[in-house]
Amino acid sequence: MSDEKSSTTDKTNAKDEILQWVTFKLESESYGINVMQVQEILRYNEVAPVPGAPSYVLGIINLRGNVVTVIDTRSRFNLSPCEITDDTRIIVIESEQQIVGILVDSASEVVYLKASEIEAAPNVGNEESAQFIQGVTNREGELLILVDLDKLLSDDEWDELKQF
Amino acid sequence: MAKALSASKKVMKNYLSELLTDDLCNQVNKNHESPSKTTSISENKRLEVLLKNVNAELKIASAEVNTQNSAPQIIKPKAKQGTQNSHIIEVSSEARLSSNEDTLTTQKSADILATKIIKRKTEKTYRQGDFQVLFFNVGGLTVAVPLIELGGIHAIDKITPLMGKPEWFKGVMLHRENKINVVDTALWVMPEKCDTIMKESLNYQYIIMLSDSAWGLTAESLVDTVTLNQEQVKWLDSPSKRPWLAGLVKDKMCALLDVDSLIELLNEGSGIYQVDS
Repeated sequence: MSDEKSSTTDKTNAKDEILQWVTFKLESESYGINVMQVQEILRYNEVAPVPGAPSYVLGIINLRGNVVTVIDTRSRFNLSPCEITDDTRIIVIESEQQIVGILVDSASEVVYLKASEIEAAPNVGNEESAQFIQGVTNREGELLILVDLDKLLSDDEWDELKQF
Repeated sequence: MAKALSASKKVMKNYLSELLTDDLCNQVNKNHESPSKTTSISENKRLEVLLKNVNAELKIASAEVNTQNSAPQIIKPKAKQGTQNSHIIEVSSEARLSSNEDTLTTQKSADILATKIIKRKTEKTYRQGDFQVLFFNVGGLTVAVPLIELGGIHAIDKITPLMGKPEWFKGVMLHRENKINVVDTALWVMPEKCDTIMKESLNYQYIIMLSDSAWGLTAESLVDTVTLNQEQVKWLDSPSKRPWLAGLVKDKMCALLDVDSLIELLNEGSGIYQVDS
């Protein structure tokens, strides 16, 4: 009987896995991305614009000899542009088998969240940007919006990025 | 400035009438042309016309059912209100039969749905005897919600907007362990009136929770709670384009919300004008 109980508990625990999320800020909101997709976080350095690049591409940076495309996260999230500050960071991520950078206002911390703590975002709105949201969670009295990086760009846009 | 405010109030006063019936819109506009001395008389008239229109809708609906029952060989094309009686089409007997079946099936399912809606609306606990409602204000518009369907009232706190959501979806507000989906009431109820000036003037103070759902409506001020009897409300039981409207409080000429239908619409992500029965 007790064996049965413990196996059920194990199963529940296995399902309720703990995930790590890197949090960052855009305007006054906090967002989180899966730590497994984050390669590194860089201080802002000059992003070289690419003529004819799509609007969501800020430009490119040279990362130890590799060219990394930087995505304008603010414009992707329908936020107005803001000035670069000391806190501005480029988070280098791996998504859809590509390495890209996303520009954020600041990177905050790594948080641990149980899968059960993550709730689905309200299912309203069919705008493209609505699908970036993987879920939301209450983190110390603040709402943390968890972003699905794979959906940050459409398949066509990911293909387009490969050409950079 | 004062002029603009009083004009805005006047517009809001007429808003509900416009909201409830398109025909009435014309009358309201006419009233605007001849200024305010007839305000109270015209309000009463508006209410009467409104009630007549509601009755007329019901009569048209029942007449339609009677026609179809008594003369199945005549097929009436689906037409919008006002053009219903204008066309009767003669068709070949085969086509007539199959179309008849289609029409009858559609009519049947529509009837079932209509009956369900009416049943749901009339079976509500507040549809018997006296009941209490809470009046609240949004952008000069007064809205009533039955107290029995009120989930709670919270003071407004930090609302986190989510990208890609409709404009009326203000965001998520954390309240203790709960996440409240906050609706910008003015933008949902009267999107066409919400210009930049109005948006800037809105000063939301409260969240009115809808039943036990996660949805909350923003309110600028709470007016009061009043006990109403059944006679003081013109109930809108027929399935309409505005299922979120339970009825009309006659004294205050204001909308009484059908909370369950409103929750359904919000869950679907429907704005006020995306609904078509």
